[in-house]
Amino acid sequence: MRSRKKKMPISRKVLYLLGYTMVFIWLIPVLWMCITALKPGGSAVTVIRDLLSPPYTLDNYNYVLTNASIWNWTWNSFYVAAVTTIVTIILTSLAAFALSRMQFFGKTFIFWVIIAGLMVPVEAKIIPLFQIMIDMGLINSYSSLILPGLAAPLGVFILKQFYDGIPNELVEAARIDGAGMLRIFWSIFLPLSRSSMAALGIFTFITSWNNFLWPFLAINEEKMMTLPVAIPTFQSAYTAELMIPMAANVLASLPAILVFIFFQKHIIKGITMTGIK
Amino acid sequence: MNDQSRLLTNVKAYLFLAPFLLVYGLFMVYPIAKGFIISLHDWSLGMESTFVGFANYSSMFRDSYFWEALWNTLLFVVISTPALIFVGLAIALLVNAGLKGTTFLRSAFFLPFILSISVIASVWVFILQPYTGLLNSFLHTIGFTEEIFWLSDAKLAWVSILLATVWWTVGFNMVLFLAGLQEIPEEFYEAAEMDGASSWKKFMFITLPSLKGVMLLTVVLQTINSFKLFGQPYLMTGGGPGTETRALVQYIYEKGFIEQQMGVASSMSYVLFAITITFAFIQFKFFQGKD
Repeated sequence: MRSRKKKMPISRKVLYLLGYTMVFIWLIPVLWMCITALKPGGSAVTVIRDLLSPPYTLDNYNYVLTNASIWNWTWNSFYVAAVTTIVTIILTSLAAFALSRMQFFGKTFIFWVIIAGLMVPVEAKIIPLFQIMIDMGLINSYSSLILPGLAAPLGVFILKQFYDGIPNELVEAARIDGAGMLRIFWSIFLPLSRSSMAALGIFTFITSWNNFLWPFLAINEEKMMTLPVAIPTFQSAYTAELMIPMAANVLASLPAILVFIFFQKHIIKGITMTGIK
Repeated sequence: MNDQSRLLTNVKAYLFLAPFLLVYGLFMVYPIAKGFIISLHDWSLGMESTFVGFANYSSMFRDSYFWEALWNTLLFVVISTPALIFVGLAIALLVNAGLKGTTFLRSAFFLPFILSISVIASVWVFILQPYTGLLNSFLHTIGFTEEIFWLSDAKLAWVSILLATVWWTVGFNMVLFLAGLQEIPEEFYEAAEMDGASSWKKFMFITLPSLKGVMLLTVVLQTINSFKLFGQPYLMTGGGPGTETRALVQYIYEKGFIEQQMGVASSMSYVLFAITITFAFIQFKFFQGKD
């Protein structure tokens, strides 16, 4: 082993140097955000020596937690993202099952209408969507944030791809045992696709959690705001020093970062599934 | 199969589909149709609307701000798409090179993608601030004396927006490329090695061709995403200086929600809609034709 290490070719060393230098540069904005949020007001936050030595304080966090409704906004973001995720999984898995395993009139047409939706940017729908929400009396409600997110063609697409790969023998065997379609869906397809659903779920959750444009339009009451909309509103009062805004940034990012750390594999898989095949 | 059982299968299938089709119809199909109807009207919230035919479209085409916003968006698409593809592929190759700590490298490059645009914009605005920002301080330390106004000079503002966008979203492309790279059979490289192929040749004749499918997907997704540009300029520059970094989506928002001209805003949305679909289609055909 040792002789091997000695022989590490120059090109390999260059690669290591390049990789780790780049990753360090890449992380600077996040590291800087975390460190400055811990510095007392009035400190120099662009000098490395000062950044890396005390004093540190939690005052900024205390200040943000008492002067901004962070808990409330976090709850709003969480509630909207959680409901969107759960309902999306239920709706898209049912639809994907029908498209994958059932014969019915207009199947191809419906499939293509759903696939076409993949190319429609939400940004192009904001005007009619807003008018529709007004007509339904839903502006400034959780429903206005949740409902548009449920029309998610991506979920149908991903799950159908997965279901298509489930061997037909399993279905036939269950049929011979007298199982109906709902039963087959529930006790064969759902358990088998658990990891695809997890990946889709986490992906849906993060997308909803970070959604900016639509919540920015649909919500104008402070107590109904989600984090991405509330944070800039709160920060706009603090332009002189960056410690308070940075603490707010960290608090707003913490849940997503935790989810990322625990579910990285699923997240990566989720993205891969949207792409490959 | 007799008529009755065929009917029954149909009913069953539609029961499975119904919940999804209901929300899909209400919040995807209906808005697209309604958007077109609004674009044919003089429309503002809470007011009686009047049918004006294609007048909104013609007033849109005469509006120089519309052309500016469209041009800004196109410029961003044309520059950011290749940049995000190139950097994404480069990082994926680096992460895939078998260095120690691959998982760490991958996570670190991907991390910014899970942060919200509000946080991204706030952090970058502080980094790019003149006099007090991190980047300028760094540049001063290594000897640049000039104060650079990253966000208030039109050209530099676009550079800043591009920089922040690459940092924020390139991890997504990296993951797609990584998946593609991992699907290339090891034997291909072994065979090439026996023939004495250089690293560059292996990249050109094995890696790149094998990534064709992933490349198509990434280019399509990236183009559409770049057309949707809104948060970065809106939160970082406010569309300024003046209106020089105002993207089409921001102009749609301002026309519709601030000026209350929802008809014109809807006709602009339709332009955005038409363009993204056309681009996706062209790219798809282009890659297909290369077979």
